[in-house]
Amino acid sequence: MAEATATFDVRRTGTAGVVDIRGDVTAGSEDVLMKAYESAGDVTAVILNFTGLSYMNSGGIGLLVTLLVRARRRSQQLLAYGLSEHYSQIFELTRLDEAIGIHDTEQDALAAAGAA
Amino acid sequence: MAALSSTFRRLRRRTAAGAGLPTPEDRAQPVPGDEATPVDIAPNDPLLAYLQSASGAVDVEALELDSPALAELKAAGVKLAVPLVSQGELIGVLNLGPRRSEQEYSSDDRKLLDNLAAQAAPALRVGQLVRQQQAEARTRQRFEQELEVARLIQQNFLPKQLPELSGWQVAACYQPAREVGGDFYDVIPLTDGQVGFVIGDVTDKGVPAALVMAATRSVLRASAQRLIEPGAVLERVNEHLCPDMPAKMFVTCLYGVLDPDTGHFRFANAGHDLPYVKTALGSVELRARGMPLGLMTGMKYEERETLLAPGDSLLLHSDGIVEAHDPQGQMFGFPRLKEAVARYPGGGELIDLVLADLHAHTGPDAEQEDDITMVVLQREPARGDSPNGKVAGELLIEFEVPSAQGNERMALERVAATVGPLGLEPARLRRLETAVAEATMNAMEHGNSYRADRPVTVRVYAETGRIRVEVADLGGARSAPDQAEVPDLEAKLAGLQRPRGWGLFLIKNMVDEARETGDGEHHTVELVMHLEPESTQGADDDDT
Repeated sequence: MAEATATFDVRRTGTAGVVDIRGDVTAGSEDVLMKAYESAGDVTAVILNFTGLSYMNSGGIGLLVTLLVRARRRSQQLLAYGLSEHYSQIFELTRLDEAIGIHDTEQDALAAAGAA
Repeated sequence: MAALSSTFRRLRRRTAAGAGLPTPEDRAQPVPGDEATPVDIAPNDPLLAYLQSASGAVDVEALELDSPALAELKAAGVKLAVPLVSQGELIGVLNLGPRRSEQEYSSDDRKLLDNLAAQAAPALRVGQLVRQQQAEARTRQRFEQELEVARLIQQNFLPKQLPELSGWQVAACYQPAREVGGDFYDVIPLTDGQVGFVIGDVTDKGVPAALVMAATRSVLRASAQRLIEPGAVLERVNEHLCPDMPAKMFVTCLYGVLDPDTGHFRFANAGHDLPYVKTALGSVELRARGMPLGLMTGMKYEERETLLAPGDSLLLHSDGIVEAHDPQGQMFGFPRLKEAVARYPGGGELIDLVLADLHAHTGPDAEQEDDITMVVLQREPARGDSPNGKVAGELLIEFEVPSAQGNERMALERVAATVGPLGLEPARLRRLETAVAEATMNAMEHGNSYRADRPVTVRVYAETGRIRVEVADLGGARSAPDQAEVPDLEAKLAGLQRPRGWGLFLIKNMVDEARETGDGEHHTVELVMHLEPESTQGADDDDT
């Protein structure tokens, strides 16, 4: 298995869990991301903060799909903010933007999740 | 002893009453009445040795030998056997029955017979030789006629002229061996300006091979128009040929479709000698797996694709070249042909130079062993290229990336640093970076199995108005196996597709042009980004 190249710190904000992503999101990030997700506990929404993202590849996109499946199973919303223009385009291309609410700021995301 | 025995057997029909020089009529229609039953003498029968060394007429009844032929002669009523010996070789026997007077043969009779035998033997020998020569001449004539028929069939089915393709030079040569082998080639115009190229070889020689070649060519032409895809075409041809293929015959055949506009050459190979491509970096073999045609039904033919860049030459050839022997029995061989392709210019010149090498190898007086066939496709060098076709754009950098997790970042960063000064706008640079990273990941994982000793090679070219990046692995796989289907998020969320499998999709959508090529040794993904974005949304390139 590849080394984890990203950190995922979880903050609880209202009824949402905010995951601060730093570094590279690749297939190798799976364990760390899933641990972070579990540690968010019983939340209504999970918000991914991509402002610290330096690189994401197709493996990372696959990881987001896995995360999306789990969140849906628990009836949790999945939202994101802080994506660069490049990764926003990739979200559009893969239609992840239709399943993950994309926002400019954390406030927007929290408001959309009804967790502010 | 076999020659003697056959000669002897022919003469065994001369009987006591009918001894003498054989005539053709005797053979065709035995004279009834006096004609005794022929006696067969086996080659190992001791009677042969006895007669060969006998000094004169042999009294058959008195002779005691463990010989089936002797027993038969006795049973047939033969009294005397007079050996006909010419130059120490037994060429026949005069078999005599009882005298009409029913008296024994006297010593005068025997002397007379011995004298007769001594005179008849050389005359008989001459007669035998004349007849043998006539038979050989007839066989030769039949053979020559057959060769002529084979040659006519063969030549009638070869293209009368080669196509004129803009930006391409097509040359071919076909030199039949005296015994006309089963080589053939063909050029088939297809829809959308594409052109099919065929080279093949039927086992066997002469008329049978020529007929199978004609059938193969016809079926191939018909299938090529309907199916286009080379693998499917060969599959269809194989199904058609199998039921009627004569025993122990089959056809090796390479079929490729050239798109003259792009230089893409898609091909499939039914066990034929691998073609060579002369590129700026040397010559490479084009590999694709497949069984010869006509052996077994249900065969599948792997399909591959390569890109013939400006200046590249493709050589299709038959085994008459590599299997030609020198006087010491040494074959010309594949390595030598591969090297010739790398060293010589392409087009018709390549054919002439290979033929010259071949003749130097076999020697001036050697008879050509097998048909020699070559077809060369040369893409003319692009304007601005050096005239020898060595440069297709400027190679800015070439580097290797060890196949290990995460190393795609290394490729991405080096390409970004190289391309930086060329003025690609930042958003488009990021897209190229992503495509390079994804292509490198696929190459490391699917092509090189993440083996450290199998690095990925990355080349960056600056071409007129565009940047071209090649990412090559050593796997030769056509594409990443888990990315054959178009990823669909809904399907993935519903568990119908795996969460992963986005790589190829991203590659295709990130750059202006993306295509995969394979030469059997390397699998290469080619990424093209125009320096100026195209006015239309042309990111979706379905070329691959």
